[in-house]
Amino acid sequence: MKMEMIDRYVYGVTKRLPEEQRADIGDEVRGLIEDMLDERVQGRDVTEEDVREVLLELGHPRSLARKYQGNKKYIIGPELYDFYVLIAKIALISTVVGLTAIFLIKVILSPINIIDDFVDYIVSFITTIPMVIGWVTIGFVLAEYFDENKFAQIKLDNNWDPSNLTPIPDPKRQIKRCEPITSIVIYVFVIVMLVFSNEYFGIWIFQQGEFSGIVPFLNEAEYSSFLILILIVCGFGILKECLKLFYERWTYSLVTFTAIVNLVSITIFFYLLNENRFWNPDFMNELVQNGIVTNGSDNYQVIKIIWEQMTLWGLVILVLGLIWDVVTGFIKVRKAR
Amino acid sequence: MSKINEHVDKLLQELRRGTITIGALSQLYEPQYGYSLVTTLKEKGVQVEPGTLYPLLRRLEKQGLLESQWDTSEARPRKYYLLSQTGKEVLDLLRVEWQNIARSMNVLMEEETNEDGDD
Repeated sequence: MKMEMIDRYVYGVTKRLPEEQRADIGDEVRGLIEDMLDERVQGRDVTEEDVREVLLELGHPRSLARKYQGNKKYIIGPELYDFYVLIAKIALISTVVGLTAIFLIKVILSPINIIDDFVDYIVSFITTIPMVIGWVTIGFVLAEYFDENKFAQIKLDNNWDPSNLTPIPDPKRQIKRCEPITSIVIYVFVIVMLVFSNEYFGIWIFQQGEFSGIVPFLNEAEYSSFLILILIVCGFGILKECLKLFYERWTYSLVTFTAIVNLVSITIFFYLLNENRFWNPDFMNELVQNGIVTNGSDNYQVIKIIWEQMTLWGLVILVLGLIWDVVTGFIKVRKAR
Repeated sequence: MSKINEHVDKLLQELRRGTITIGALSQLYEPQYGYSLVTTLKEKGVQVEPGTLYPLLRRLEKQGLLESQWDTSEARPRKYYLLSQTGKEVLDLLRVEWQNIARSMNVLMEEETNEDGDD
């Protein structure tokens, strides 16, 4: 417990400092604490109370970290900076992937317009990328501002106690970074596809090697009304994954938040799919009209069954996935206790 | 009374902030690690919190006035600081300046006491 309290304190100081200084300052602070303990105990055994008093004398890890930072002011401080860069990278990669996918789809559908599409593609980079980076940055600037709302915290800093120091992340509860990153990329990809190119989401019909049309999966008449719901679900999904990345480990509050988000998502999906407004109601008829299948043939029956079952199984897989997300989180928190 | 104490504290803090840097530099002709410097300064009547001194030493090193080296030969690795060549030259010049300031300040402050005494 004594060592752990020191470890936590050192962690509390160094996590607020630029990465390249962490190891060195960490060693220095640890050495300082040990020197102070030596002086205090004069040869007798160190008790937990000694550690507590020494840490109190040094002050809140945040204020010690501030002294190490000097008087520099940050728009996004070292505590958030690494995370900011990570999220900005993810957002950029997802945007590039999404825009490229749209460009490729357009080229496949009408190769003749490739020059126009390419110009659109380049223009969309110039308009979209600053917007994405801008929003990410604004989000972090706000987080920094509210996190560091100096006045409230300086008061808090004066009655802190070493026993409430934040624990160092435990590897057993650790969330692997690649998991939330993959999820965020998928969410962003889904959003980009739904917003910019939902009309390409369906069965593509080629006649004599020429593209002639699409039988859409989605109900285009109702599309705009449920798009907003899907965007809300994706937005909360991204927030959830960002929290996983930020905390780097499962906690009860993270599990609770995940559970709420997933429950809301499941409810919204049930609503969408049960209302029978989500999927294209004339899907089978349009297939027949485009000569893909003939009414009454075996193929027609198979496709009809697949089409009807798709909703059910899609929903089952989705629900299981979301429940699994919460269950693994819960198990990992429990295991670490 | 507490108002007066507040003023005194604040002014003293400002005064110390400036002097602590020169004070620390002056003790580093021989290598010392952070806590031994805290103790040395304390013995000579200069109180400084380690939470202030450690970051200060690091800043002075970054500015090139100090050099540092980790000593790992003992049970506990410690970072030793020492005046750099620049640091020595700077300190020599500062010493002269300080003596001037101290002399003038003494004159000023004694005037004040004398006036008080005359009243």
